[in-house]
Amino acid sequence: MALKRQSVVLGVLLAPVTLFLGIFFLLPLLIIALFSVLTPGLYGGVEWAFYHWNYGRIFGWADGLNEIYEPIYLRILLRSLAFAALTVVLTLALCYPVAFWVSRLSERWRLVFLFLITLPFFCSLIVRLYAWLLILKPSGLLNTVLLWTGVISQPLEILYTPTAVVLGMVYVMVPFMFLPLYAAVDNLDRAQVEASLDLGANRVQTFLKVILPQTLPGIMGGAVIVFIPSVGNFVVPDVLGGAKGLMIGNLVEQQFLSARNWPFGSALSMIIMTVVLTVLMLSVTRARKAGGHA
Amino acid sequence: MRNPAGWAALTLFSLAFFAFIYAPLFVIIGYSFNSNPVNMMIWERFTFDWYTGLLGLSDRATDVSNRAAYVESTDQMLAALRTSLTVAVVTTTISTVIGTATAIALARYRFRLRGVYNGFLMLPMMMPDIVLGIGLLIFFVTIGMNLSMLTIIIGHCTFLTSYVFIIVQARIAGIDPALEEASADLGASEWVTLRKVLLPQLAPGILGGALLAFVISMDDLVITYFISGTGDTTLPVFIFGMIRRGVKPEINAIATLIILASVVIAALGLWLRSRKTD
Repeated sequence: MALKRQSVVLGVLLAPVTLFLGIFFLLPLLIIALFSVLTPGLYGGVEWAFYHWNYGRIFGWADGLNEIYEPIYLRILLRSLAFAALTVVLTLALCYPVAFWVSRLSERWRLVFLFLITLPFFCSLIVRLYAWLLILKPSGLLNTVLLWTGVISQPLEILYTPTAVVLGMVYVMVPFMFLPLYAAVDNLDRAQVEASLDLGANRVQTFLKVILPQTLPGIMGGAVIVFIPSVGNFVVPDVLGGAKGLMIGNLVEQQFLSARNWPFGSALSMIIMTVVLTVLMLSVTRARKAGGHA
Repeated sequence: MRNPAGWAALTLFSLAFFAFIYAPLFVIIGYSFNSNPVNMMIWERFTFDWYTGLLGLSDRATDVSNRAAYVESTDQMLAALRTSLTVAVVTTTISTVIGTATAIALARYRFRLRGVYNGFLMLPMMMPDIVLGIGLLIFFVTIGMNLSMLTIIIGHCTFLTSYVFIIVQARIAGIDPALEEASADLGASEWVTLRKVLLPQLAPGILGGALLAFVISMDDLVITYFISGTGDTTLPVFIFGMIRRGVKPEINAIATLIILASVVIAALGLWLRSRKTD
């Protein structure tokens, strides 16, 4: 076989990434898939025998002997999906108007506010979550202020509730929604908007027929980028949701670090991975159909 | 905007949005100077105690009766900071080299699996942290590798390589291949063309990718949480553990320092970007 010279350099350039990601990315994912159908060992670890009850416990079949079907797992999965979807909707509702506002500012102020929105990317996630712990806890800032001003007479119990978790997720995800949205809004053809208004369409019609379709790629991009890390999130529900198994990420963490049921934890991870890959595939095919604007 | 009232409302909403983003950070900064150790939310007086306490210089510790334990936790925190910095420097170097090589390969060569590589390199960024974290944990345990700083470094490189790749690839897309063709026509070998013609033009992109990798490595919590052993732990994992055990005023001080560091790094990034366009 005649080896072209360029293949040698190409090989040198590609070998590291192929080896590294092959061993330390692909292999671990395959091991999760394998472990998810193995028997849990008595004292942690696994026994090398096929076992489908790991999934059965979640989706409704179980032998009732070794494993019992618990509807709670399905509920936690659905709750995770719902929280992630809610996070997408709320970040979108917050960012959409602001993206418009920023795109209409003068050059200098636009740069200032774009810098302000990217700054949180550089700031530690755990620090930003910790701030909400300070604000929401019973003796925290929010309650102190509300009690002092007489708005409430009893401290609000917000910390360790689903509200706190969704609030925290919205807070950490807002910059991820903003940037793709802003890119779409900034590319908006303003002449078309003006034309639509001049030709007698009202604001709602203009929004639905002109602005929304044009910014849809940005909305979809932001939605995917926010949804994916939200579904499997375990830090936010851990810090702001308390130690309860609130979301599927917490459940996975428990299986690995305290319950020591690795196969069950792997099965749960496979579910997270399936959800994420499905969302990715859908968004990619959608973007292709729409003409590759994503 | 045709409607001034609408614009005013939009401005108000937007300013409230930015207040929502920044107010929590200012809460931390404010309370890191509050002397009240029992209820941080009630202002007592201005103090630097929590900062000097971080260095083990303060007489005041949260748990005054247990000063020894407090100093120990301070030592642990400084060790965690050292681990974080070491991990970030090493992973930035490795992932920048691998990511840049990959970006060049995919941008400048046509080969059959190119599309597969392009798609595959998105996966480590899109894979939820927790899945990658436990995958690596099972993998290391299965092959009998002890969890240590080395496993943290390997874990970080798996996803940082993709980030560097994206940034460098975007930069290559804006570089005209004509210079490289000229270099090849004039008899430079492929390797020399790469090193002497393409790489210098890529430098700002590589620097940008490295900066991003460094920041993400310093901040990674979830993956590190699963693959750091009992010995080496990074700063975010350490703070996570501290927060889980309860809120202490020292956390405010260290959090404030982290916020300041991130502002400096973000400004540095902005400065690099503005220089690039000169």
